[in-house]
Amino acid sequence: MTALSLSLVVPWAAGLVLALLDGRRRLVGWVAVCVLGANLGALVVLAAAVLPDDPVVVTTGNWPAGVGITLRADALGVLFALLSSLALLSATVFEVLEGVRERTFPGLVVLLAAGLTGVFVTGDLFNFYVFFELAMTAGYVLATYGGGRRELGAALVFTTVNLLGTFIFLLSVAGVYHVTGTLEMSGIAARMDEVDANAAVLLAAGFFVAFSVKLGLFPFHFWLPTVYTGARPAVAAILSGGLANIGAYGLLRFGGELLPGELDLAAGALIVIGSASILYGGVLAVSRRTASEMLAYSAIGQVGYVLVAIGVGGPVGFAAAILYTVVNALNKTLLFLTAQMRGALAGATFALGALSVAGVPPAAGFVGKLELFRATAGSPALVALFVLGSALSFVYAFQTYQYDFWRGERRGRRSSAPSRASSPRSRSSSSRWACGRSRCSR
Amino acid sequence: MSVILEVVCPRLLGPAAMVAAAIIVKGYSDVGDGFSAGVVVALAVALRYVTLGAERAERSLPVLRHAPVLAVAGLLLVLAIGFFPVAFGEPPLTHFPRAGEPVVEIGALELTTAVALDVGIFLLVAGALVETIHQIARLVEERRA
Repeated sequence: MTALSLSLVVPWAAGLVLALLDGRRRLVGWVAVCVLGANLGALVVLAAAVLPDDPVVVTTGNWPAGVGITLRADALGVLFALLSSLALLSATVFEVLEGVRERTFPGLVVLLAAGLTGVFVTGDLFNFYVFFELAMTAGYVLATYGGGRRELGAALVFTTVNLLGTFIFLLSVAGVYHVTGTLEMSGIAARMDEVDANAAVLLAAGFFVAFSVKLGLFPFHFWLPTVYTGARPAVAAILSGGLANIGAYGLLRFGGELLPGELDLAAGALIVIGSASILYGGVLAVSRRTASEMLAYSAIGQVGYVLVAIGVGGPVGFAAAILYTVVNALNKTLLFLTAQMRGALAGATFALGALSVAGVPPAAGFVGKLELFRATAGSPALVALFVLGSALSFVYAFQTYQYDFWRGERRGRRSSAPSRASSPRSRSSSSRWACGRSRCSR
Repeated sequence: MSVILEVVCPRLLGPAAMVAAAIIVKGYSDVGDGFSAGVVVALAVALRYVTLGAERAERSLPVLRHAPVLAVAGLLLVLAIGFFPVAFGEPPLTHFPRAGEPVVEIGALELTTAVALDVGIFLLVAGALVETIHQIARLVEERRA
């Protein structure tokens, strides 16, 4: 219980204090890193308590169940909290080493960590929304980080679309309370069977749309490329490696635990949407010339695998979805951070991430892909789709690697828009591949 | 701007603070809490900004410039009150003294940790709203200039 409370209150309180300080000072940045480290440490202790035994459940204020707010840390929640915390920590270390540009950055990242931890360890639907909103609000402000025109444009798109997603989520939460009379997740799961089937399907669709917007799945992806290419590398890593985990967690928690009947009903649709996402993301990522654009479309494709695995369902499908989400979040954090760096070590790290995205054996991505193949072993069409998707990932990841790290045509960091607009033109003239595509990449 | 408005509005802050204090206190037996008390005070402050203008309002009441600090201090107080029971092995948001135990009294006022929690919420809400008003006032004056 202490570890659970500490993992929440430490980043929350420290984030508030850090928000008042000038984050551009190196010391403040390192304090933020220490706080995120402490959060990660508390989560590790919590995981050590949760994984072998039962979930840790705390009802605030010793109120009877149903009255007090329930905090509930189980294996799934703790895993996602650990993952997000790790992504945030890496991105913050990166940015502090680079030199923080705005005074609010360290405080916001730490508050985001508090929100994410809260989302993953709450057992109460409304509380989920509150922490969700805390994390998202920090995310909206973080998306403006850098303060340039491009960043502000990206932040506007990100905020508008995600506010709509959150609104749909809140409507669904209200709907759930209306039909079940409780906001406690275990209570909802127990009472959902007696709910009118039409209402349940409507609620499930609402949650699905809300979390798909967050994940950037195919029909809801339109905001994602603008935001991930417009934001600074550290922020893109935080958004895709940390914040996007809410989407995958939500689909697993709400689909698998609260609305399992509706998930079965929609399994076919999920597999179709997931497949479309894989193909769309893969094909567009191949056609992109800059690393950040490639990664943005790759993100759309990669979450497609997660959705297909959830659609397949059952213990094997859910395990594959969880494993793939973990691997994907780690890949994205690594790639977004290294894509703008140059040098042999950065190149090797990027190659490792690229191997992982493609699912080639020495990298972690292989394990994720292996589980996916195991989950879909019964369906030749899905196996073929995964092979095609992996081949596309291999092409786009190493194409970017080749351009950025081998040929050395793009040296240094492109920090401002004008230099970015002029450099691809000179590049494309020298490359056989880019002739036909240079037009569509801009 | 009428003279009455200019004379009355700045003097409304005192009664508003009094009403806010009453709302916090009666929250334990009646309708009321720190949130609505914060909104009441912020409304009185907003009226001051409207009548005096941002510059004069903040010069006459320098604490307004420190609204963000007040908001953060309030939230820190809430977190401290909410989570300190964890140190004693109790779940978060447990309040002391518990039901049936003797309470510290000041006149008719009974002090529990829940009151401190509401004071924290009051500071957070009032601070955040005043800061919002300050930013809006700044935008308006920039546009006018």
